[in-house]
Parts: sequence; structure tokens; C-alpha cells
Amino acid sequence: MRKLSKLLLALTFAVSVSTSAFAVVVASWGGAYTESQKLGYGDPTSKALGVPIEWVDYSGGLSEIKAQIEAGAITWDIIDVFAYDTINGCDEGIFVEFDFDKDFPPAPDGTPASEDFFTDMPSKCAVGNILYSWNYAYNSDLLKSTPSTLKDFFNTSRFPGKRAIYKSALTNLEIALAADGVKMGKGGEFIYKKLEEPGYVDRAMNKIKALCEDPNGGCVFWSAGAQPPELLMSGEVVMATGWNGRFFNAAVGEGAPIVQVWDGQGLDYEYFALVKGGPNQEDAMKALAMMTSTEMLAGSAKYIAYAPWRKSSIAVMQAGEPWYKDGKTNMVPHMPTAPANLKRYFLVDAEYWADNGTELGEKWEAMKASIK
Amino acid sequence: MSSETGKILTTDGIPLEESLKQSEKKNKIKAFLLVAPLLLFLIITYMIPIGDMFSRSIDDKMVTNMLPKTYKAMENWDGKELPPEEVFEAFYLDYKILVKNKTAGKLQTQLNYEKNGFKSVLKKLARKQKKFEEGNYKEQIMKVHKRWRNVEYWRAIKRRAPSYTYSKYLKGIDMYSNEDGKIVQVSEDRRIHRILWIRTVEVAFFVTLFCFLMAYPIAHLLATLPMKYSNLLMICVLLPFWTSLLVRTASWMILLQQQGIVNDFFVWIGLVADDNRPEMMYNKTGTYVAMTQILLPFMVLPLYSVMKTISPSLMRAGKSLGATPATAFFKVYFPLTIPGIGAGCLLVFILAIGYYITPALVGGASGTLISNQIAYHMKSTLDWSFASAMGLMLLTGVLVIYWIYNKLVGVDNIKLG
Repeated sequence: MRKLSKLLLALTFAVSVSTSAFAVVVASWGGAYTESQKLGYGDPTSKALGVPIEWVDYSGGLSEIKAQIEAGAITWDIIDVFAYDTINGCDEGIFVEFDFDKDFPPAPDGTPASEDFFTDMPSKCAVGNILYSWNYAYNSDLLKSTPSTLKDFFNTSRFPGKRAIYKSALTNLEIALAADGVKMGKGGEFIYKKLEEPGYVDRAMNKIKALCEDPNGGCVFWSAGAQPPELLMSGEVVMATGWNGRFFNAAVGEGAPIVQVWDGQGLDYEYFALVKGGPNQEDAMKALAMMTSTEMLAGSAKYIAYAPWRKSSIAVMQAGEPWYKDGKTNMVPHMPTAPANLKRYFLVDAEYWADNGTELGEKWEAMKASIK
Repeated sequence: MSSETGKILTTDGIPLEESLKQSEKKNKIKAFLLVAPLLLFLIITYMIPIGDMFSRSIDDKMVTNMLPKTYKAMENWDGKELPPEEVFEAFYLDYKILVKNKTAGKLQTQLNYEKNGFKSVLKKLARKQKKFEEGNYKEQIMKVHKRWRNVEYWRAIKRRAPSYTYSKYLKGIDMYSNEDGKIVQVSEDRRIHRILWIRTVEVAFFVTLFCFLMAYPIAHLLATLPMKYSNLLMICVLLPFWTSLLVRTASWMILLQQQGIVNDFFVWIGLVADDNRPEMMYNKTGTYVAMTQILLPFMVLPLYSVMKTISPSLMRAGKSLGATPATAFFKVYFPLTIPGIGAGCLLVFILAIGYYITPALVGGASGTLISNQIAYHMKSTLDWSFASAMGLMLLTGVLVIYWIYNKLVGVDNIKLG
């Protein structure tokens, strides 16, 4: 019996040490992205608050947290999620609703948090951390002339060669319509209005299908963020849509002949959401407020080319240029929010996709199955 | 003579029959206790989850309970035209309570599964209903969004009325039951699940076939080579087995893509022209090659273990009785390996039918299989009841194949060693 109790004691000790019951647990995507979060604002916040912050990797989606809640054993406090997931998670009652101006600190000049956001949040349960771009890039060694617009992505007579596009409909419908001559409007509002009208979804799908069936074109569908730069570098495709941070890493970090085109880029946010009933909710809220403050968010842009979601963070970066960790690259021009990159863009409409994602997904797969 | 005296007693005076029964009972309990952990394990990790999946896939009480007044009012509505004022009023009253209790989000999600486009109009209604005036709710609701004037949306609400439903299973084969209660196909541009089922079975079938064709000679070689060579060969078979699936998939991408190593080699030796490189990746070829290589060990190992037990003298005996090598192989050797073939094929087929990461990465436009769809509904839409229904359909499919195999070959003929 004594042996058993000793064993139990040792076990509980081991468990408590390995999960460190006091830590705030943040689930994020891993890789270079989580590294930028950890170095940029995770560690400084942890130091300032005296609360350990533990980063765990997950592969997106809400199934794990929903399972944790249903099993009554929640182990995550904060999750890094897509806009689409914040809406679903908020509706399902998985996340805590915020009062933005009360819960989050104002900008250094006193602007309330909600006015410091680049846009409105898609739901009350979401607080942005980065802005990233769905733009496209090309391999400059493989093309004779220089593409500069979204139309050029679909122009296979001037730029022959395969294209890499995202495996699902998200953002592909938007760029197809824009390239087909539909006006974008401010932040892409016309595009989404048109997509609600009959016929326009088919028009977008047909545009993609035509590109894929074009003997001068053809497509490769990518599913992991590392694929687009890799496909460009190997020469498998001449142009690829992708996430700007990955292209930046390949171009600046590895010196690859990859050039980004910002015309018609799709701006998308990545968000933090606070899990309702998480193991350490109080500390988690404190940590979240600090991590998403002006200075802290600017910190992550030292390590990755994604823009902080607060306008005031850009000013911090500007004052500190060259901001990139190599000590010689100016970071602000590489931000999706730099004025030069924002001439024509659309904000990925999370509500539209939360509304129509499933049906569009089915149509998209049916279209893919019919490609010859 | 009383019956008591007829019984044989043990030394302590208990009738022998009873005493035997007792000790047997003890043994039975002991035996049961020995297997109890396994049984419990099976029940907890296998039976309960499958039961839970099943109840999830048919249980629709949540929506039924959320809109009690609406469904009562809808009883008299035939679903042909827009419902009458009572239905609108009942819906408004039900929804108002949900908004107040902050559970409206769940209804939004559920109805959006039934008909896309519900989410945003319900959110809009949640905001606007606070300013509703009493009476004429039909007018007021229809003013909130034009979709409320579309009878399709009201039909979708009505479809969710029963507490139990098999609609998710219908959806899994691109069907639904319409307002007349007839089971019909969904619109043509959305029929995707049947394509995916066929594609999944096709991929699993061909991967199993290719695995068999490649593994049979390898396993034969392994079983007949002298120990020191066969050990080396065995390591060659197992080495990829120990490498991460993603690493192997990525390696195939680098090897087989149009600008990849294999194509470079072909161009270098002059087999193909530089501007006419064959496409071996991001299509079905890529899926077959990568999955066959990944699943090959699962075929080699059962085959090998069965072949190892076949005595070489049997083939010699056949030949000495006048059979040609081919006849001896097909009449003697091959039938003896059938248990291994059965085990290997079932193993590979079942693993292949649930694969989705590899096809998604290397399969290009044809890389979506039914498991991708299940994962999508698990992770993104959170429509777990649909995911459960499709999961069970997949499980049933596998069981059917197992049943056919049993009928054709016999399950007792499966051997893993």
C-alpha cells in the first residue's frame, strides 16, 4: 500500500511538472509561424506577467477543442484560428466574447483598441494577431516578361506554363472573378455582392477550369503552405498563389528568384480566440491582452513577413527599421498592408465563406472532377 | 428411499455435483476476469465510439427542441408556397428565446448545414428582431433579408423537424428527401459524394492490386534467399516503413514532378524531349505510386510469413511428379499462399480506403477522397453528424468487402504468420 501511494505521488508530481498547471497553453500552427509568435510576443509577455506560456502545435480546425469540451477536459486556453473558425466557434459557444475596448489596451497615442484594428473583427470572439495575404508570385528565371496584374495570372498566351492554386475554392473564386473583369470595389465588396448573384459562382469556376484545361497553362493544386515556393523553385510551375510570408522567406531568406505580385491580393487575418472554461482563463486573458498590444505585435513581424493587426504597430516598425531579424531588410514594404501593396485588394469575407463554404466546396470538387 | 441418499457426497458433505459446479464457476469467473480487461478495452475503445457515432448521425433532437412552436405551426403547411403568418410568428417567438439564451448560434450552424446561406440571415434576424413590432411577423421577417422570401429556406427548416433522421446518410450519396417526402437527387453541380466514393474504392482497389503484384515476388525472394541476404532485403523493406509518411510523400513529389529527378534523368538519356516531360505527379499516377510504396510493407510481411512456412520440398515433389514449373507453382505453391494474400490484401485495402493526406498532396485535381470530406466536416464545418454518417458508411463498406471475402475465400483462411 505504501509503495502504491508513493508511486501515485510520483506520478502526480510527474504529471504536474510536465503539464505545468499554471501555464497558459496556446495552440497554434507550429513551424516558423509559432516561432515568430513565441519570440515576438510570447516570451516577452511571459516574462512581464510572470506566467509561463506554453505553445502547442495543432493542425487547425475546431474538432480538437470541441472534443476537449465534450469530454470535459479542456487543456487549451487560447487558440490561433482562421476567421471562419472564430465565427463557428463563437456560434457554438466554444469561445469567450470580448468587449474590445475594455479587454484590450489602447494604442500608445490613446486610440481605443477597436479603432486601432485594420478592420472590424468577424465575430465578438476573435482578436486579430496578424494580417496575411493571398497573393501570387512567379519565378523570374522562367518568365521572359514580368507579370504585374491579377489578369496576368490567367494570361497563358503571354505567360505560358503551369500555375499552382489553392486546393479549395477559398480565394480562388474571388481572384477568378476579378481577373475576369468584375470590379473589386473597396475591400472587394463588389466581388462578394456578385458572388451572391446567380451565375457568378459558375463564371468563376469556369474561369479556373479553363485555366486548368488550357494546354499552355494547367494547374497544380497545393494544400500545404510550404508547397507554392517549393513548386516555383523546382520549376514545376511558373506562377503560384500562396501566402506572402512563405514567398518572403523563400525570396529574402533563401535568395530564391521569386517575385511577388500584390495586385488583387486577398487580405486575411489570423486570430486568437479565448476558450470558454479553459484551465487558466484569467491569466490567459491577461496574456492575450498583452500579446496583442502595439509593441508586442510589432515584435512578431521581426521574424515573419505578416503584418500586425494594429495600425499603430506599423509606426513602431517604421521607427525601428531595418526591422527584419537579419538587421538589414526593411520590413514595412513587405507588409501586405504597405500602401504600395494595397492599391487593389479584397478582404477575405469570412462571413460569406461561413455561410456558403460547404455548398461552394461541393461545387468546387465537382468542377475539379470534371477537369480534363 | 429419499433422493438425498442417492447423491454422492464429497468428504465435507456437499453433493459432488454442486461442488463441481462451484469449482467450475470459479474457474469460469477466473477465465472471464483474465479476458475482462481486453473485453472492457474493446467495449470502451471500439463499441462505445461506434455506437456514439451512430446515434450522432441520426439524432436531430437539438433542432426539434429549439423550435417547438415553429414545428407545431408547420404541421399544417404543405411546403408548396411560403408558410402562413402563424409559422412566421411561431418562428419569431422561438428564435427570440434562443437569442435571449445565447443559443441562437447553434441553430444558425445547424440550419446552415441543411441549407447554405442561413447563417448570415439568421444573424441579421437576431440583430433586427429586437426592434420588431407586434403583429404581422411575416412582413417584418421578410423585410430583414430577401432569403426569407425564398420558400427553399422554409422547406429546409421543415426538413429538420423529426427528432431522428437518416437524412445525413442520404446526403452521403447526394440525395435528399424533398417537400413531398420523395427521395431525390441534389442538383447536378453538387453531386460530389458519389464521385468520391467511387474514386476512393477505385484508388484502394488499384493500390491493393499493385501492392500484390509487387509484393509477391519480393516476399518469395525473402522467403527463399539464404538468411544473410534475406535479412538485408528485409531491412530494405522495413526501412521506408519506419520513415514518416509525410517524408515519403514529399520525396515522391521531388522525384516524380515534371521538373523532378526521374524526369530529368529521362531527358538526360534522351528518352523524352525536354519540353514534353510526362506528368507523373499531381494526378492519379502520383497517388498510385506514392500509396503503393507506402503500403507495400503491409503486403510483404503477411505474404512473407506465410511463404516462410511452405516447405520447398513440396514444389520439388510436384515437379518430380511431372509438373512443369508453372503448373507446380499454380497448383501447389500459389494455393498455399492464399491465406497470406488474403491477409495482405485486406490489410492494404482497409488502410488505403481511409487514406487522405497522401492523395491530397500528390493527387492534384483527383486528390480528394471520401476521407478528406470526412476530415473537412470534422474539422471545419463541425458537422459531426454528417462526418459520423459518412464514417459509418465507410465502415459498412469495409465490412461488406470482408463479408464477400469470407464468402469467397473464408476468413479462417487468413494468416498473418
